[in-house]
Amino acid sequence: MSEVALLQLIGLSVVGLGIVILLFIKAMFVRVLGFVAMVLGSFSLVALSVPQMASLPPAIESFDIASVKTPDDLASIGQKIFFSKGQCALCHSIGPSESARCPDLAGVGAKLAPEFIYESLTDPQSYIYLDFRHEGLPEEYPARMPYINKNPIALSKPEIFSVIAFLQKMSGEPISIKVEDVMDMGQEEKSVKMASLKDGAL
Amino acid sequence: MIHQSLMNILKNLVCKTRGLPLLKLGTVFAVLLLPCLALAQDAATQAMSVEYRDIPGMGSRNLIWIVAQQHLLLAGFVLGVPIFAWVCEIVGWKTNEPRYDKLAKEFTKLLTSAYATTALFGGILLFLLIGLYPKLMAYLTDIFFPSFIAYCILFLFETATLYMYWYGWDAMQGKKKAFHLFLGFLLNLFALGIMIVPNAWATFQASPVVVADGTDIERAWAAMQNPTWWPVNIHRLIANVVLGGFICGAYAGVRYLLAVSREEKEHYDWMGYVGNFIGVFGMLPLPFAGYWLMREIYQYNQQMGITLMGGFLAWLFILQAMLIGVLFLGANYYFWMGISYRIPGSAQSYKKPIMAMLIVLMVCLGVWMTPHSLVASLEEARKMGGTHHPMLGVFGVMSAKMTVSNLMILVTFMSFIMYWRAGKVETAGWAKIAKSVMGALLVIAGIAVIVLGVWGYFVPAIIRINYFSVAQVLIVLFIMVTFTPLTALLMKSAKTTTEMVWGQMPIRAGYSLVLNAVMVILLMSLMGYARSSSRVHWHIYGVMRDTSEYAYSPALGYAAAFMSLNTFLFCLLVAFIFWVASMGGDKSKGPQKEEPKGSQEKLPEGLTPAMAGGSPRKGE
Repeated sequence: MSEVALLQLIGLSVVGLGIVILLFIKAMFVRVLGFVAMVLGSFSLVALSVPQMASLPPAIESFDIASVKTPDDLASIGQKIFFSKGQCALCHSIGPSESARCPDLAGVGAKLAPEFIYESLTDPQSYIYLDFRHEGLPEEYPARMPYINKNPIALSKPEIFSVIAFLQKMSGEPISIKVEDVMDMGQEEKSVKMASLKDGAL
Repeated sequence: MIHQSLMNILKNLVCKTRGLPLLKLGTVFAVLLLPCLALAQDAATQAMSVEYRDIPGMGSRNLIWIVAQQHLLLAGFVLGVPIFAWVCEIVGWKTNEPRYDKLAKEFTKLLTSAYATTALFGGILLFLLIGLYPKLMAYLTDIFFPSFIAYCILFLFETATLYMYWYGWDAMQGKKKAFHLFLGFLLNLFALGIMIVPNAWATFQASPVVVADGTDIERAWAAMQNPTWWPVNIHRLIANVVLGGFICGAYAGVRYLLAVSREEKEHYDWMGYVGNFIGVFGMLPLPFAGYWLMREIYQYNQQMGITLMGGFLAWLFILQAMLIGVLFLGANYYFWMGISYRIPGSAQSYKKPIMAMLIVLMVCLGVWMTPHSLVASLEEARKMGGTHHPMLGVFGVMSAKMTVSNLMILVTFMSFIMYWRAGKVETAGWAKIAKSVMGALLVIAGIAVIVLGVWGYFVPAIIRINYFSVAQVLIVLFIMVTFTPLTALLMKSAKTTTEMVWGQMPIRAGYSLVLNAVMVILLMSLMGYARSSSRVHWHIYGVMRDTSEYAYSPALGYAAAFMSLNTFLFCLLVAFIFWVASMGGDKSKGPQKEEPKGSQEKLPEGLTPAMAGGSPRKGE
């Protein structure tokens, strides 16, 4: 028996029980309970008669820098980070948006150098931008830029450069981030972590 | 830190137990849960390694679902009741009518009984969350810890104020009444704080903002100010009043059905009327608050909005329409029964308008429940040329649904106005003009709402959402805010032609009050599921993914069965709490023994002049 059929059977039984109580039981409080059971059973039966769709989670994708072979792979990983772990899309849009609370990033990869973007992500207070997209005096954006390399987001250096590669790609620019450099960064971060662990142990 | 906050919560539980048997019960239970502190400590230290724990057989999510639902429904009740208990008390104080004060006290009695159980379920929920979802709780604690402290402080103040408000009721009469009312104000203020702080945690999960560097307080404050925080605060505040009103109405309905003496019947008939009135009063602006919330969700993340309205949750809104429709019908039916049974001779004269209202409500409900895509077999779909029905398909879109929901609100409001005016004749010289103006405004408003609805099909969605729907809401609100004071002015000088008789309602009136309460509880459960499921497979949308085996959202049928179970459990819980509370009352006194001298005793038994929201003294 399928889950829906089982639930329908239970629903019908509850409605039936409610009807029996209302027909044969005199005690008023029990009758009220029977009435409530009948209403709830009927609600369940209606809900079971509409299309049943569960929302299944998509497969978990891992960002394995070691699997990167081409700059396009890098940009593809950067895109995933942009919309998930990096939380960039919580505030930024790519293209005009009414709900974006921070600058629109369309074309930013073509306008800004990778080093500058990197600095803006890891030291956001170095350059403060104001919002000029309205009449009157410029205003600060509603949300402040966080340090992307620190908690709670804490992207690694290779991950940040993957995002920069994505920004370049979606701006129609050739990707200037080199895969070998990103690999080296990954190795470098690993060795720094190992060293700090050793220091801690000592 | 978690350990500290748990200790604070436990202290709260212990502090507020003096005097009330249920509170003591709660404390004993909380003490029994002390071993959970060890679990909490363990969770804090292992948070990085253990992401989830499970309950074999039942599943961790199902357990959390039940406990959270019971806690939220109880919390909605205990936060909603003080609002109208306080308003009732003010009315009693202003009109010098002790029975309003008595009613307010009875409401507060229900509140004190439910308060400990609410805290108890809150405590259980907290322990379960820490134990079953350590990683998520560690993340939220890291961001929100200062707000946990604020919450504990608010809880302490709320508890202390509730003590003084409840135990000081009789002592603070006469000259001290103003201070008692001030306590009632403080009680509501702290209750508001208690509601909005956890709302921030829940809304952050649905609409997180990036938390930049700063002090702990700055970070918590930034996270609290997420886009859906205030829409949810307002929506819940109103919904709590609705829930509280209808539950008090259902309590009165059951007591009415169980009542033996005439005095009891009169009292609980009146209490049921007030409960239903409060519920309806809150229900009228509720859809507007819901509309604002949905707008904010769409603005925050269009994908989330689409998941809700057009994705796997789309059918949920058909169920929502059914529940709201039944609620509107139930509330109106109760009003109409009131006209027929409490105001002798009115049944015949109001028969036609009641029939017209019923037809409008049924047609509107039919349109509201029409789905966008019909459930059809392949053959049926081919005949229709798709899943959209050639004729009914036009009713499946938002423009039609916004129109009918506004019309239903308008009809319900007019039902209330009709009840208010029943059994009275206006004596003011300007009454005729006022009634003509009101009639004309009502017709114009109805036509304008329909025209905007039809026009909405021919303009881009953004124009309809930003201007047309807003205009429809404003038109209905305009009618409500102009008709209410105008009718009050008219009724001030009106002559009562038929006295209102309490305690004459048929048995089905009691059942309709129970039905309304069940509908509201189901609605809150359903929309809670919608809000939670709109996050799909994320604990914190776009930030922290749910990687447990329960990351999927169950289908509507399974969810509805669970909601029904939760609703039944909640009804049993509330019945038990109220039963325990009623054991403490002095039954020998009888509910009407403290009626004021004067007008009431001059009237025949059960007779008072008719007036919406209660009845004034004769001669006023």
